[in-house]
Amino acid sequence: MNSVIANAPTELGHELRAQIRRTANHTRARRVVISKIMITLSMLALLVAAVPLVFLMYQVIKNGWPVLSKDFFTTLPQTPSLITPTVTGGVSNAIIGTIALNIYAALMAVPVGVFAGIYVAENNTKFASALRIIAQTMSGAPSIMMGLFGFTLLVRDFNLGFSAIAGSFALAVLMLPVIIIATEISVRNVPQTLREAGLALGAKEHQVSLKVVLPAALSGIVTGAILAISRAVGETAPVLLTIGGGFINAWQPLHPVSALPLTVYMNAKSEWPAQRAQVWGIALVLVAFIFVLSLGARMWASRKQKVNS
Amino acid sequence: MSEPRPALLDGEKVVAEEFSATTSRSWYRYLLLAASFIFAAVSVTFVGSIVAGSFSTWTHHAGTLLTRNGWQTPNGPFGGLAMIVGTLETSLLGLAIAVMVGLGTSIAIVYFVPRRLRNIVATLVELLAAVPSIVYGLWGFLVLAPWMLSTVEPWLNSWPFAKTIFGNPSQQAGPSLLLAAIILAVMILPTFVAISREVIAAVPQDLIEASLSLGATRWQVIREVVLPTARIGLYGATFLALGRATGETVAVALVAGGVANVQFHLLYPGTTIAGWIATQFGESQGVEISALTAMGLLLMLISFGLSLISRTLVSRQRKMMAVV
Repeated sequence: MNSVIANAPTELGHELRAQIRRTANHTRARRVVISKIMITLSMLALLVAAVPLVFLMYQVIKNGWPVLSKDFFTTLPQTPSLITPTVTGGVSNAIIGTIALNIYAALMAVPVGVFAGIYVAENNTKFASALRIIAQTMSGAPSIMMGLFGFTLLVRDFNLGFSAIAGSFALAVLMLPVIIIATEISVRNVPQTLREAGLALGAKEHQVSLKVVLPAALSGIVTGAILAISRAVGETAPVLLTIGGGFINAWQPLHPVSALPLTVYMNAKSEWPAQRAQVWGIALVLVAFIFVLSLGARMWASRKQKVNS
Repeated sequence: MSEPRPALLDGEKVVAEEFSATTSRSWYRYLLLAASFIFAAVSVTFVGSIVAGSFSTWTHHAGTLLTRNGWQTPNGPFGGLAMIVGTLETSLLGLAIAVMVGLGTSIAIVYFVPRRLRNIVATLVELLAAVPSIVYGLWGFLVLAPWMLSTVEPWLNSWPFAKTIFGNPSQQAGPSLLLAAIILAVMILPTFVAISREVIAAVPQDLIEASLSLGATRWQVIREVVLPTARIGLYGATFLALGRATGETVAVALVAGGVANVQFHLLYPGTTIAGWIATQFGESQGVEISALTAMGLLLMLISFGLSLISRTLVSRQRKMMAVV
């Protein structure tokens, strides 16, 4: 039946085909020209997208590099005065503060995030899927909300005052969903056969999870954790409302501390040109640090993946 | 009346014990559960403390907060209309710019950039998405704002109807709603491109080749096949970018100008919800903190809604591509 239809082209079919061919030939020149124009436009969009970003990176490097010196990293800031308008000191307080904040935050967020992520990946309960939805929603929350949370709960309600612990708590809340999602994905990607092989050999559930699944998923988990940390390092809004700032080298959890992004935010509006110039140096340090972290994590993960496969 | 169960042999006993040890709730399960409960508790406390912190404002001054123009420190009334309007203006304008440029960029990266460069460009885009927002804000504040004031604004003011659109030149400033929208566009562009590139690249090659073999030009393939197929995922990327734009804080706090007044002239300084919280929080106390937290809750609801929409759309697109 089918072959009969296929082998019996009707007058109408011929007519239609010829008409389509005519139209196609007729409009070819126009269609090709439009296509070329649109392709050029999309390449132009790529250029338009690249220009500000290239310009931004150029400015950060050009203005930031001359500011960097040994004193920039090792000395305390000084407020310029009319007699010494170019003396700004260094930013050692902000460097120490940023390191302390992110170490505390990672110590809080990484263990909780990794184990919660494993739970979400390995359980099909309602609780697990609720956690997944919460994590995905939290990862979209604006970072200023973490600052408000840290302020309301720790600075005010727990009466800890502006402190490193309040700031690192806010950053930990920011990191948690990112780590949970990354862990869940990489644990899920471990082949089921690997788990079954471990269980068949008589290993207990936690042995399989810790000695088989976790090593296999490790590269994804570490990459996720590093990306979460590199995001937290550059965040201003959560620390703006929680850490209080300060001009001494402080790292103690209950002490007010400073941070690099916070210093950028404060000093960008400074009336002293020397302080505005110094801010570019901080921006360069931040960008360089974050690029090294995320590139390193990416390269390590892809090498690890090659080794595994 | 069932038969009494026969006693287990020694060997069976060992196996049974091993089996129950494997399936029983070990300490490890409790560790995982504990971590999960901590996260759940933190999340609940998160929402709870924001709601509790703004409770008095919502119960007593909700109408003022949502409809009044003008923010009277330190005791109120606190009107949030300027921030709500400013958030809408800057993020929608920024989104429009970013989507137009970003869509072209993604298409160019997937189809027209030489294969060897493609991975490098994709990595660069993802790196740029990781640049902290304060750096964009700094650049906007110290480089673009003076340039806007000296070059762009005089040029815009020479347009016909400039006064109706951009307002009185004497009230214009370098940091303005337009500059905030531009900075937001630059910031969300990498985010948008990262996802839309992935979505476009996932369009099956068969569909494209089938269309090409029928004589379509390359642009016809993109317009008639690629974009419709990737449509849902592209909407998802758009909502994700919008969510990032509405929640952006410090960059906007630096470049928007920080004036709490409803502005429809884009070259006037204005502010957004998040930007206003950042600029105002340092000097505020008591009732004002409650009002700012209330604005924060509003922002949080908006961004939760946007991220819910974008996630649903992107995952629907992924499922669709998996079926094709």
